[in-house]
Amino acid sequence: MEKKSYFVNGVGVISPQYTFDNTVFLPQPQEYENTILKCVVPDFKAYIQPVQLRRLSRLLRIGLSAAITCLRDAKDEAPTGIITSTGYGFLDDTAKFLTELLQQDEKQLTPTHFMQSTYNALGGLVASHIQCTGYNTTYVSKGFAFETALCDALMRLNEDASQHFLVGSYDEADATQFAVNSKAGYYRAEPTNNLKLFERPAAGSLQGEGAAFFFISAHKTEQTWCSIKDTRMMYAPGEEELTSALIDFLLVNLLSAEDVDIFINGASGDVDHDGIINRIGERFFTKSEQLRFKHLCGEYCTASSFALWMGASVLKKQQIPGIARMNCVPEKASLKNVLIVNQYGGRDYTFILLERG
Amino acid sequence: MSQRIFITGFGAITSIGENVDENFQSLVEARCGIGKADVLETVHRDMPVCEIKLHDRELLELAKAPGGKGFTRTATLGLIAVKEAIRSAELSRQEIHDSAFISATSTGGIREFEKYFYQLQENTGPGPWSQFRDTANPGDHAERIADELGIKKYVGTVSTACSSAANAIMMGAQMIKHQQVDRVICGGTEALSKFTLNGFNSLFILDKEHCKPFDEKRKGLNLGEGAAYLILESEQVVNRSRRKPVAELKGYGNANDAFHQTASSPEGTGAWKAMLEALQSAHLDPVHVGYINAHGTATENNDLSEGLAIQKIFGDDVPHFSSTKPYTGHTLAAAGSIEAVFSILALRHQVVFPNLNFGQPMKELTISPVTGILRNAKIEYVLSNSFGFGGNTSSLLLGSAA
Amino acid sequence: MQTTEELIPEVQALIIKSLNLEEIATESFDENTILFGEGLGLDSIDALEIIVLLDKNYGIKIQDPKDAHKVFVNVRTIAEYIQKNRR
Repeated sequence: MEKKSYFVNGVGVISPQYTFDNTVFLPQPQEYENTILKCVVPDFKAYIQPVQLRRLSRLLRIGLSAAITCLRDAKDEAPTGIITSTGYGFLDDTAKFLTELLQQDEKQLTPTHFMQSTYNALGGLVASHIQCTGYNTTYVSKGFAFETALCDALMRLNEDASQHFLVGSYDEADATQFAVNSKAGYYRAEPTNNLKLFERPAAGSLQGEGAAFFFISAHKTEQTWCSIKDTRMMYAPGEEELTSALIDFLLVNLLSAEDVDIFINGASGDVDHDGIINRIGERFFTKSEQLRFKHLCGEYCTASSFALWMGASVLKKQQIPGIARMNCVPEKASLKNVLIVNQYGGRDYTFILLERG
Repeated sequence: MSQRIFITGFGAITSIGENVDENFQSLVEARCGIGKADVLETVHRDMPVCEIKLHDRELLELAKAPGGKGFTRTATLGLIAVKEAIRSAELSRQEIHDSAFISATSTGGIREFEKYFYQLQENTGPGPWSQFRDTANPGDHAERIADELGIKKYVGTVSTACSSAANAIMMGAQMIKHQQVDRVICGGTEALSKFTLNGFNSLFILDKEHCKPFDEKRKGLNLGEGAAYLILESEQVVNRSRRKPVAELKGYGNANDAFHQTASSPEGTGAWKAMLEALQSAHLDPVHVGYINAHGTATENNDLSEGLAIQKIFGDDVPHFSSTKPYTGHTLAAAGSIEAVFSILALRHQVVFPNLNFGQPMKELTISPVTGILRNAKIEYVLSNSFGFGGNTSSLLLGSAA
Repeated sequence: MQTTEELIPEVQALIIKSLNLEEIATESFDENTILFGEGLGLDSIDALEIIVLLDKNYGIKIQDPKDAHKVFVNVRTIAEYIQKNRR
């Protein structure tokens, strides 16, 4: 099948950094002292009517606002489909409903939390908000969720270039999830400042969150941020297997490692998970600008969407945010491509290749 | 790229059978899984459910799954059905390794999460909860099943409420059509839980008696549990392996109602669009559909919007249709694949399964479902519908393998 | 036993709290404001929330949500219903 490019023509991201304003690019890094990173949120009333806003959970507000930002950025072009992704979904609503259920012995339960706890609640909410009756699905594939959503959109665009997809992700730094998973060593045992995450290798990472939406089409517009060339997912690969796959990935996209301008490294600060990606960076991408991002957004299943936002921003604005830099290489005349290599839990590995639009 | 997609294996476990053959026998003998909750510990023991009468340890034995290793009831049901599908297609170890696995669930390990809700958050020491540390994550069950079987190519999970498994099957077909993979094992799994029982109860859409789909006096749904998976392969792979497919996935459609979080639009816009798209994707005139396995949950809302949508598409020529949910209950995310299996059985045996408990036609509809089993039904194509919360509507079009 | 008039402020406060209407129940909102459809624009999920509220606070069990539509016109009609049926 012919390799085509697809274009990111709208972006809306709400994260623990100041990202919901598309006119600026990481103006002031947000610092967190206590291992948990929470979103910097806009005034939701600028996006959602009060009669709807009153009922929405925090994550639904964040997700819907990010989607609306993206649609506005795409100059209100109507998507023909909505594909969403999440790791833990609306665990806050799940926990609230369960707490009521257990405390009240399964009696007199209110429906709102149950209704909003379904993983596809945001996809349904966005569809009804913009009256989009087209293709709609939600992936909950842990570290592959976002890339699966992208892959689904790209396959459908390959079949029909007249379509447009709103592809998004959302995950929350939920207290229940933190309580449960910190006991399994997911997060740093000591309170950790996010900007110092990589200074001291240790077990565990930071708990993060965010929502990111991208408007993806087969054609360029004035709004284009970048193009998406390719994406791949690898489940629980060994180091050699992953490395070969990465070289092959670049090769089929007519690139070698030296051709990569920006390498975005998905290390999470967890010394048990970061080894392979760090070694790949050291082995193949010493001439590329190397960036990291999980000290800015934390670790969560769909964090690679933050990396996509970062890569798209670098390509559109032709700027590299200092706070994300890992190395120091001579400045390049122009930044033409970005390779994102992410991992989740040291098992779900993904590649995304972006090019200047 | 008009790649044909064949189904070369299938597996299912529900309250009416531990495998596909047992399910078929129950369907033709009108044997339902309805009863009281005996295994699930709940105060709502008066609420009828279609429960699999096996305790978790018995299911683990049936699955030959390792005990104490975080296999939730949902994951175990899934493993049983996947193993049957693999056996039925006679996949080799290498073929399993090279397959993609796309599963679906709407609750994942919520049953274990609700049981150990406080211990998982508070206790640091080991206990029976420790193995369920991260099993509430809906993607977890798929990775566990994949690891147990040695599936490596791709592991993913879909969650779009009651249309989940249908969407998992669609994504599997897409990956094959776009040559990402030769073979996909896809479907869904769902165990009963207090979470879903009470959740649906809070929405007032459970029937306190055995459900009556498409009946004027219907009062809501009964919950069920189960799992089912299909093995999808491309035409080239089938030719190479010389497997005999059991059916063909001719087309599929997915749309969104864009109306309300938990209710369908009165006109059934999403249902209509999804069915139409399934037919159009196969370039098939509606007149060729021999049977519709309806979503038919027996809620006032679903059956009305689905009935109207069917009438709109088929006009005066509505094929035989029935809901098999009185047999199995509403198995939520697994419904799409369980009912795909039932649709394949309908094709293979040329049988239309009855819509049990039907008495009085709905006043808004001119059509009524099939009430007794129909044999020698001459079915070439079956449409299987799955509609869910969030407005997600999906429809699969299945045909004979010839 | 409270009269309907006495119940109104209490019921109004409960409804505003359980349906998160603080920012929508403006100065013009009172016991006669139509709650569903053309009025405040509440929907079927809000109706279910009110049903639970009646059960929890007044011991009133409504078995069929369809019956609720006749009762839940505004705060006054709900207060009247409570006055007649509370346990």
